[in-house]
Amino acid sequence: MSLTIAIPKGLLFQPSVERLRAVGIDVPADPGRKLQSVDAAGTRLLFVRPADVPAYVEFGAADCGIVGADVLWETERHVCELSDLQFGACRLVVAARRSDRYHEGAQLPTFLRVATKFEKSAEAYFAERDLPVQIITLHGSVELSPAVGLADLIVDLVASGKTLEENDLVVVDEIKSSTARFVVNEVRFRAKYAAIMALLERLDPALETQ
Amino acid sequence: MRLPAGTRDWLPPELHRKRAVENALRGVFARWAYAEAQTPSFERFDVLETGLGDTLAQATFLFNDRTGTQLALRPEMTTPIARLVSTRMREAPLPIRLSYVQPVYRYEDPQEGRMREFTQAGLELVGAESADADAECLFTAIEALDALGLDDALFDINHAAIVDGILEGIGLAPDQIERCKTLISDRNLVALREALEAMGRRSSIDEVVRLVMMRGRAGVLNTVRRFCTSERSRAGIEHLARLLSRGVDLGYGDRINVDLALLRDFSYYTGFIFEGYVGEVGFSLCGGGRYDDLLPRFGFNAGAVGWSAGIERLLLALERRHAAHFGSAPAIDVLVSGSDVIAARERAAGKIVRIDFERRSEQVLLEEARRQRIPRLVIARENGVREIDVTW
Repeated sequence: MSLTIAIPKGLLFQPSVERLRAVGIDVPADPGRKLQSVDAAGTRLLFVRPADVPAYVEFGAADCGIVGADVLWETERHVCELSDLQFGACRLVVAARRSDRYHEGAQLPTFLRVATKFEKSAEAYFAERDLPVQIITLHGSVELSPAVGLADLIVDLVASGKTLEENDLVVVDEIKSSTARFVVNEVRFRAKYAAIMALLERLDPALETQ
Repeated sequence: MRLPAGTRDWLPPELHRKRAVENALRGVFARWAYAEAQTPSFERFDVLETGLGDTLAQATFLFNDRTGTQLALRPEMTTPIARLVSTRMREAPLPIRLSYVQPVYRYEDPQEGRMREFTQAGLELVGAESADADAECLFTAIEALDALGLDDALFDINHAAIVDGILEGIGLAPDQIERCKTLISDRNLVALREALEAMGRRSSIDEVVRLVMMRGRAGVLNTVRRFCTSERSRAGIEHLARLLSRGVDLGYGDRINVDLALLRDFSYYTGFIFEGYVGEVGFSLCGGGRYDDLLPRFGFNAGAVGWSAGIERLLLALERRHAAHFGSAPAIDVLVSGSDVIAARERAAGKIVRIDFERRSEQVLLEEARRQRIPRLVIARENGVREIDVTW
């Protein structure tokens, strides 16, 4: 029974493609404007925005997919997280202007403005610390916001930390770390059990080592 | 003129299909000797809360009456039926077999297959603790989906004691077991691995993950038997083995699987658990199991087992199958013009009769009958009655 797999475009695309090729699924190197492709064995790949992978999988439009844990933190959608694929590592951090010295332990005042794409994770972080803040949800270029006075802090994903540096921001605290995950639709996991287990066994580094 | 989010109208052809599904299920319930019951759409919240788990209690529509009593729209039917049985049917001979087809209400984000008002059909078998009762619960559900033409629907079964047995077997404490069961139920294996690691059970991680991902029949039970030592979990395994073999006798051998991660709302189910689904629809179509702790909360010491299905989800599954023919609108048998008496006679004979109000000409009536596929036309005028067989 052939599978439909949702693949995230963006940063996780290349490593996802490499991993899928390594297990014998043929993915076009650059899908360009193509939204989907079918390989010779009948495996269908859907190329979608990273944040949309959970929706495709929850509704069963895709049987399974690859998605960053950071997307799963923010979604309400229910997908089964079967495996940590251990690539695409990055960290969700709180960062601030170097000049504010929060990274050197200066006390965070209340009602700071926090710019982020990760509203739920940011809210949970500050709620846990009993620190009332004002969350400003942005959709991109979050690192710009402290420099132009839109926000006092940012909560954002960093891989190398270079973008932070370029904007004169420093990490105040690390909230959690993310890697790529293999997720499946619950009903499809059952209905296509053999095919999904066969793929999972080849993809999952934790199963490989056994 | 908007409707509240998560509600919908049912236009006649849609409602006709819905009724066809409901009546097909009612037919199955009746053939298994279940009697239909009805409870109020709203009840005192404190009463409903007695039976609801946290998740459903959170998703309940609440309001107050004029004296300030907190009322709630029922979010499911099992609790009202448990209340009904515990308060009104205590003297009835056991077991009690009740069925229902009723709207329920949940304050959730509306999306496909998840409305704020939807219809639940199901049954409850009260006061029978035997394996026979669990078998009846499963087989009624299979027959119900069969009756709709979903005769390739798959059914996964499990027993609440088995996962307990596995987790007890690796030495986890009760609160750790609860935590792991939440993750297993969500099939979040990444978090399950992390949790077991944090609980100091690194050496058991791969084994537990492998067990809860297993799905199959006798082979799964044989494997898991080696990991379960408690009497309760052993009994659960034997219970499933018997259910599988009874299913084989009924020709369901290929359709029933054991799925050790199927836990549903595990604070609720005390033994046998099942879900039914078809591959095209991304969520389960029906589900249920044994909940022996519910009726005692209403002061009635009886075990119970039951299941429910969402009618709208069943309709969605039928639509995906292009089974639109299921319950097409009733055909009109005869078009009558100009005589109340003839129309009454036709109705008395069980015919579906449409009456022409405007005494239109034979030509016009004939055209209408052809267009609407009405096979007979009766025209009564002063000069006599003409009966025409319509062809198209």
